[in-house]
This record gives sequence, C-alpha cells and structure tokens, in this order.
Amino acid sequence: MEISTRDEGDTKVVMLNGKLDTNTTPAAEGEINSLLDAGVSKLLINFEHLSYISSSGLRLLLATAKKLKASGGDLRVCSLNEMATEVFEVSGFSAILNVFASEQEALGG
Amino acid sequence: MAAEDLRPTVLAVDDTPENLDVVKGILSDDYHIKVAVNGHIALKIAQSQSPDLILLDIMMPEIDGYEVCRQLKADPVTKDIPVIFLTAKGETADEAEGFKLGAADYILKPVNPPLLKARVKTHLALKRNMDELQAAYAVINRQKERMQEELNVGRDIQLSMVPDTFPAFPDRDEFDIHALLQPAREIGGDFYDYFFVERDKLCICVGDVSGKGVPAALFMAVTKTMIKSTAAEDHSPASIITRVNDEISQDNPSCMFITLFLGLLDVGTGEFRYTNAGHPYPYLKRADGIIETLKQVHGPVVGAMDGLAYGEDRVSLDQDDQLLIFTDGITEAMDVGDQLYGEQRVIDLFQSASTKVLNTLVNATLESVESFAGEAEQADDITILALRYDTVPRTAAGETLEIAVTNQLSEIDRVNDRFNEFAEQCGIQMPVSLKINMVFDELLANVISYAYSDEDAHSIEVIVNCAENRLTISISDDGMPFNPFTREDPDITLSVEDREIGGLGIMLVKNTMDETGYQRRHNRNIVTLIKHLDS
Repeated sequence: MEISTRDEGDTKVVMLNGKLDTNTTPAAEGEINSLLDAGVSKLLINFEHLSYISSSGLRLLLATAKKLKASGGDLRVCSLNEMATEVFEVSGFSAILNVFASEQEALGG
Repeated sequence: MAAEDLRPTVLAVDDTPENLDVVKGILSDDYHIKVAVNGHIALKIAQSQSPDLILLDIMMPEIDGYEVCRQLKADPVTKDIPVIFLTAKGETADEAEGFKLGAADYILKPVNPPLLKARVKTHLALKRNMDELQAAYAVINRQKERMQEELNVGRDIQLSMVPDTFPAFPDRDEFDIHALLQPAREIGGDFYDYFFVERDKLCICVGDVSGKGVPAALFMAVTKTMIKSTAAEDHSPASIITRVNDEISQDNPSCMFITLFLGLLDVGTGEFRYTNAGHPYPYLKRADGIIETLKQVHGPVVGAMDGLAYGEDRVSLDQDDQLLIFTDGITEAMDVGDQLYGEQRVIDLFQSASTKVLNTLVNATLESVESFAGEAEQADDITILALRYDTVPRTAAGETLEIAVTNQLSEIDRVNDRFNEFAEQCGIQMPVSLKINMVFDELLANVISYAYSDEDAHSIEVIVNCAENRLTISISDDGMPFNPFTREDPDITLSVEDREIGGLGIMLVKNTMDETGYQRRHNRNIVTLIKHLDS
C-alpha cells in the first residue's frame, strides 16, 4: 500500500495504491488522521489504483466521514473499480458517501 | 458321660408309664431315652431337644398320636425326625393313615424286644444317611451359589469393561460405530473396544479370551488395558499386537489365550490398517453392496507364544463402506440339531441388510443368530461390532490448494498471494479473485484477532478447491467455538451519523459468496464457502 497526497484547489486528494485491508488500513488511517488533525476539511480519496477493499477499509471511510461531517467538512471518493463498486453497493456505502466516477468529476462537483 | 451323650436320643411317648418302662428296658443300653406321657409334652421335647427318633403311642387322651405326628411333620424343626407308631393289636386298620401322615414305621404292642431294637436301629441308620445326603446337598448348593456368584462377578467385570454408550462419538461425523456384547450364561471372555489414539486415528479391537468365568474376565481386562496403553504410543496394529503378545505370553501360567482383531482407521483418509491374530474374518461391505472378506491372518492367537512378529494389512475405506467384526459366538452358534450358524449366513445377512443404521444392523445380526439357535442354549459370548465410514474424500475433483496458516495477521497476505497464483492457474477472473482476497481478509482477520484467548501459535487450515465452475473454500481453526454467520447484518439504510462502524465484514463475505456454511468438528471451527464461477 502506497499513499500519496496532493492539493487540488482547497481539496486534499489522497491516492491509495494497492489494497485497503486488515494489514494496510492502519497506515492509511494514520495518514488520513494526520491530514484531519492538520485541519483538512475537504478530502477526496482516489481509488483508481486500489485493487481491493475489505471491511477494515470501509470502517476507515465511515469513521473519516463521521469526523468530517461533524466538523462541517466533506469527504468524497472516486474512481472505484468493479470490486470496490460492488462492496460499496453491498454495504450501502454508495448511498451514504459521495462517490464519483472520476477525480475530475469529484473535483468539479 | 461324654460317651453317653454321643448315643442317639430316642423319645418314647405313651400315656401308660408301664409301656414306657418296657421301651426303656429294651433300648436304654444303646440309646439315650427321653419319655413323655402325653402329646403336649412330646411336642415340647421334640421341639426343644431334637431327638433322633420318636416312638409314638396312638391312643392317648387330649392329643392322640396321629395329631402329634401331624404337628411334628408340620414343623420345620421336627419334620425330619422319624416317627415309629407303637400300636396295640386291633388298631391296625389305621396304619394307612399313619403312613399318610409321614410315619416311618409301625410296631405292634406288646413289643417284641429284638424287633423293636432292629427297627429303631434301621430307622436311625436311614435317618443318618438322609442327614448326610442333605448335608452333602447343602454343600453342593452352596458351591453352586458360589459359582453363580463368580459367574456374575465375571460378567460384571466383562460388561463394565466394554464401552456401551451410543453414539460413541457424537461430535464426529466421519464415521459411525456400534457394538454389542451378549454374554453366554456361563460367560466366555469376549470384549471389544474403540478409542482415538490421535485426533484422526481410531483404534478398534474385538477379542475372545479362551476359558470362562472370573479368570477369563480378568484376563480379558488385562489384555484390553494393555492394548489401550500400547496403542497410545504405537500406531501400528502389527506392532501393538506383537508387543501385547510378548507381554502376555511371558507371564501366562494359566495358558489362556485370546483371538484378536485390531485395526486403526485414519478417519481423514479412510485408510484402515489391521492385524488379525487367530480371529474370525471380518467382512467389509462396499458402498455398492459387494462383500469383501478380510482374509489375512497375521499370526496365531495372542498369548500362545512370545517372540512372534505379527504382520498387518491395509484396506482403503470409502464413503458408506461398512465393516462387520464379530466373535465365533456368531458363526459357531448352534441350532437344536447341532448345526452351525456359519460364515455364509453372516455374509448373506450383511449382504441383504439395506440399512445404513448400524444399530439396526447389529441387532438384526443378533436376532438372526437367536432365531437360528431357537431353543438351543447360547454356548458362547456373542460380540458384534459394526463400523461405517462416512467422510467424503477430501481430494475432490479439479485443482486443490492447501495452505497451513498460523495466527499472525501477516499470514493473510501470504494466503492471498498463494490464492491469486492458484486463481490465475485455474483461470479465475481478476474481479472474482479480488473479492476472494477480501473474503480471506475478513475471515482470517476475525479468527486471528478474536478466536484465541492465549498468545500461543495456532493452526489455521485453508483449503481451496476449484472444479467445474465452482470454487469451494474451507477455513478451519482451533479457536473457541464461533459461528460467524449467525450475526445479524448491520442496517445499511442508516445515514453516516447513525451507521455503526462494525459488522460489515461478514455481510460482505455472505454477499460475495453464493453459499456459506459453518460446522464445529474435532474441536475446530470449519467455515465452508462456495462461489459459482460461471455467473
């Protein structure tokens, strides 16, 4: 799992590369929490290079969404592959998170 | 005086004192004489002093001789004392009644001295003989009781030594076993036993000790214990019997021996290794109904000669194969015409039995033998042990991947790497294998994080089979009993604020796989998952 971040306007874009599961989620969680601690309020997590996500990854997304919602911030995710799309649908996450087909769409919205 | 006391005692009863004097005069040289002048006194003396013989006058006031005799014969204390009636001429018409009442003899008055002496002597001798016979009879009876007690003790030992709770292993469904031991009236020394020597190795034995009674039962108990302790550390039937034979033969002054069939079933693979020491051939009924005879005998009866090396054979059991092991109480059961039940009847019965329920099979076998024997007494113990192998062979069709995993979270990556390689070989599409990666992550993380309360290393086993567009995954762990699929799915309609963080993983697994199952076996949790690949 590689995590890279960059700024696109007032949005912090987090690129996840690899998989988001039991063993990799703690690292991603540390990265995202430090962004939130640093005052980031608009976060876009790009799934383009994420091969698969398990429930530990979903828990991280939900916890992050809860924090941003509470602080008036905004979480978006984009570029889900087939596997992640299905997981989002099964878990109901596609209805509660702002999911976009591409980074461009997510930033334009 | 002491010598006088040893003389037999004769009680003379007469209401005429002169008559008593006459009797005394005749008999007092040879006998100790007691007298009674009426029936009441006679009965009292008879009761309290147990004379050896009674001379009884018939015609007496109050209670006549007949009544005295009736009362004597009705009382257990006095009933065996011989009674001779002394009766005056003319009363002879009543002789018949006297004899009917149990009198030993009649003597007419006036008494002829030599005749009286001779009759008394004869009846005392008869009485003595009778007493001796009765004493002997009592001794015989006591002996008989003791023997019966001994037989009962032997039978108790015997029956308490064999396991008789069925199902024998309720938590094991790879096989079923049922057994029955019916002792003969005079017990022989049959026994059977079954026990696990390892998680997947079941030891089964059936034996028949020569001899009867308590010695046979004790010999059986010793042998059975020795087999069990030897089998605990030695998992070869040949070696177990060789060692038990040496042990028993070296210290066997009573020269008892035992026919023994012992087998070890690997319940995982169905491999059955066995050694036959002079025991009747067991029969193996294959799932298709074909009967095979396990004809190999690997040595003589156990206990006959030490230093023998027994051999062993192996046979592979498949799904629904049944094994019938028994003692010669079955084959050598006889009917009233001394015809033997024989092997062929066992084979025919086994062949025609359509049941898969072993209890029914075992009872049907016993019933068949009993109805054959009819009125003929069961001469020998009857033992029947039936085993059915149930496991679906683990080596299913198609490709199989087995991965042994320890309880470290880092193992999940290794499982997924191995699985992805396997998936590629099997032509499983990438989106499917990614979902399976997620499934492994969910289930293994659950087990590794929550199934163990200690810090020890544990074994988790992952088996993946890919055959005919069907992917079957089994994950088994030795953790605490837990069925992951009983948990209710989280409510996915709630908003971000209301959604709970947990409970998602199992829901994802259930939605990803087409079938999920859980069972608890051999103290392990076994989760089975199936994914249809053509969809």
